[in-house]
Amino acid sequence: MIEFFTSNTFQTVLSALNSGFLKTLQLFFITLIGALPLGLIISFGSMSRWIPFRWLGLWMQRRLPPAGESGASPSLSLWQHYLRSVAGFFQLFRPVALVTRLLVWIIRGTPLVLQIIALFYVPGMKDWFNWPSGENGRMLAVCVAFIINYACYFSEIYRGGIQGVPKGQQEAGQVLGMTKVQIFRHVTLLQMIKRIVPPMSNEVITLVKDTSLARVIALQEVIWMGESFMKGNSGIAGLVWPLFFTAVYYLIFSGIVTVLLGQLEKKLSFFE
Amino acid sequence: MKKLIALLLALSMAFAMVACGSNNSGNTTGNDANTTGGNTTNDTGDTSGDAETESDLAYVQDKGTLVVGITYFDPMDYKEEGSDEWVGFDADMAKAFAESLGVEVEFQEITWDYKVEELNSKAIDCVWNGMTLNDEVQAAMSTSVPYCTNYQVLVVPADRAADFEGLTSLEGLNIAVESGSAGEEAAAALGATTVPVQAQANALMEVSAGTSDAAVIDFLMADSMVGEGTSYADLTYTLNLNEAQDLPSEEYGVGFRQGSDLVDAFNTFWAEKVADGTVLETATTYGLQGSVILE
Amino acid sequence: MAILEVRNIEKHFGATKVLNDISFSLEKGQAIAIIGSSGSGKTTLLRCLNFLEKPDKGTISVGGSVIFDADDPATQRENEVRRKRLHFGMVFQSFNLFPQYTALKNVTLAKELLSQERPDFKEHKKEILEEIQAEGLELLAKMGLSERANHYPRQLSGGQQQRVAIARALALHPDILCFDEPTSALDPELTGEVLRVIRSLAEQKTTMIIVTHEMSFARDVADRIIFMDGGYIVEEGPAHDLIDHPKEERTKQFLSNYSSP
Repeated sequence: MIEFFTSNTFQTVLSALNSGFLKTLQLFFITLIGALPLGLIISFGSMSRWIPFRWLGLWMQRRLPPAGESGASPSLSLWQHYLRSVAGFFQLFRPVALVTRLLVWIIRGTPLVLQIIALFYVPGMKDWFNWPSGENGRMLAVCVAFIINYACYFSEIYRGGIQGVPKGQQEAGQVLGMTKVQIFRHVTLLQMIKRIVPPMSNEVITLVKDTSLARVIALQEVIWMGESFMKGNSGIAGLVWPLFFTAVYYLIFSGIVTVLLGQLEKKLSFFE
Repeated sequence: MKKLIALLLALSMAFAMVACGSNNSGNTTGNDANTTGGNTTNDTGDTSGDAETESDLAYVQDKGTLVVGITYFDPMDYKEEGSDEWVGFDADMAKAFAESLGVEVEFQEITWDYKVEELNSKAIDCVWNGMTLNDEVQAAMSTSVPYCTNYQVLVVPADRAADFEGLTSLEGLNIAVESGSAGEEAAAALGATTVPVQAQANALMEVSAGTSDAAVIDFLMADSMVGEGTSYADLTYTLNLNEAQDLPSEEYGVGFRQGSDLVDAFNTFWAEKVADGTVLETATTYGLQGSVILE
Repeated sequence: MAILEVRNIEKHFGATKVLNDISFSLEKGQAIAIIGSSGSGKTTLLRCLNFLEKPDKGTISVGGSVIFDADDPATQRENEVRRKRLHFGMVFQSFNLFPQYTALKNVTLAKELLSQERPDFKEHKKEILEEIQAEGLELLAKMGLSERANHYPRQLSGGQQQRVAIARALALHPDILCFDEPTSALDPELTGEVLRVIRSLAEQKTTMIIVTHEMSFARDVADRIIFMDGGYIVEEGPAHDLIDHPKEERTKQFLSNYSSP
């Protein structure tokens, strides 16, 4: 047993897996650093109440005859009905919210692996731009795909967290003369964080494992490295155990993440 | 709470830095050259129009790097134990080809299923990895002259080799093959129930693990990866499937982007190297003297 | 001169009119109680005063100057509204304390944030914050909560929470303190402590508007009472008169549902 762990093979495999796991970690942390703030921005977008054409809708409505009060205005033509609904549309049309929600739907509604492939190959095929060549370019593309994907998932969690804070909290801040920013920073934020920690933990644990999708464009993360010893790597081929051994890395890392997030949850338990 | 965040940030920074560092000292050569080269192409791209469709050769020479798409394939592209350098018949010849173009060579491991997309998106400049020149490949890429012959063989457990002797049909057997490979066609043609896996090496795993009765892979790979003194000492290969089906041998070639003038550059280079004996010499180093095409 | 002058306030929610031609005034040092059944518009009226709702018609003046005019957008600018809100303090039915802060921090937070706008804040930061802190402690002491200053809301009873909320509203020295059914969310045995606090505020001549269901309390504490029904002010008068001798039929009906002690 001890010979096995001191053998050259084991050392070779271990150092290969380590270098793979370093990539896994790099992807994990870059995704978090990028997606956590981007998700918040997207969540604000999806909650945007900006109605740029409301005035137009209201103006149109004022010009049109009022809605028929049970036969009082049979004169309301089809055209006028149409204009009424257009006026109604303008009074509700929130472009920023619409666009962000569309984006979130597309990103959450399609597989991440597809997004990675598309993001990496399509720009070059269409001659838009080329990713830097080598591992760095692949890492960059994967990071961008992961950040966008996870930001969309996070944005929905943020939205739930923000909307879950009772309206009375915001009103209490308002009557105390706080600005919107102050209310968000000093009143809503921590309550939101407390609400999002449990769903966020789930998502972060999923991210730990999702990093393995990056190998589809040959990013040499830990599972790629594990598999490489089946095909052949450093003169070693036909080894299956390195692949399964990668589980140890995932388990340890997700264990650490779970403990840290659990502590955060505990720290936030001083209020309700 | 603040401490926790600070700790997480510090940790992630450290990882990011370490990872970047390791990339720079990585196994590829001419990493720096290619980054700057890439930028120049992008810059000049605007002024000279679609330069790369006019000349792929100029594009590669401009960026200063030939990116060779490979998978791990002993004896074509592999690494010696304890070494981080790609060697093998294909790898060595690719280095020579890049030198003849006056550029650095960079080996990029790819997912074999995406070789065409890798080429078309310019993530790599050629596929040079013991690639069988079948219809599918020739439809999607511009390919070089064939440089090596190959045939499909049946890989079986050594202790059951006698059972497969002189077989003309594979009916009733579960045969592991690489998905989309020439081996898959051959096995299916002989009536086998095929088990398509991601790579030829995985097909060997299937036999080794007993999850498939046998595998059909390239002779060249079987020759170097199977039998005494290899990783799969308990396997052996029998039966030339091309012969069994009366099919001609297969040939290996290098794949380039469609319409690329690198094909001509390669063919000229190859003819020279055949003439001056370099090809045979290199082939002999890797035990391929019997397979390499010297015409 | 009246400190608060409300003129012809009207408010719609969609097609429903919740406030109709509401006018009343309030003298400095007076307490006014607003009574009426649920849905009569009392709460909406308070929310209009605090700029939590925007009236569709009418004006609101404080100390003689118009702070809101439905017809004049210049009086509705977002950045000015924030300042104007400070004329009013608000005590909510459901307390709305900030759960992540201690009782003391709940009281001092808004004032600390406001003090940052003072030109001398950077120079005297320490003194200013200490002063706010001391003032907060003093307010809590007045509410009988000295011992609870460092407790979080969840560690306090409903009555204690509501008293913290009152201290929080008082911390900004509003001209008019508004109570929105301050005891409705409390268990009956806890209402007493909150009512005692409001009563003592009345004795100290705090200008107040109290929306309440506690009729006897309204009669004892308020100088005047407004009875609202269906978005209208039905009757207004001195507290004792209105409770003991209502003139309007609807007022009588409403009061008969409450057995006066």
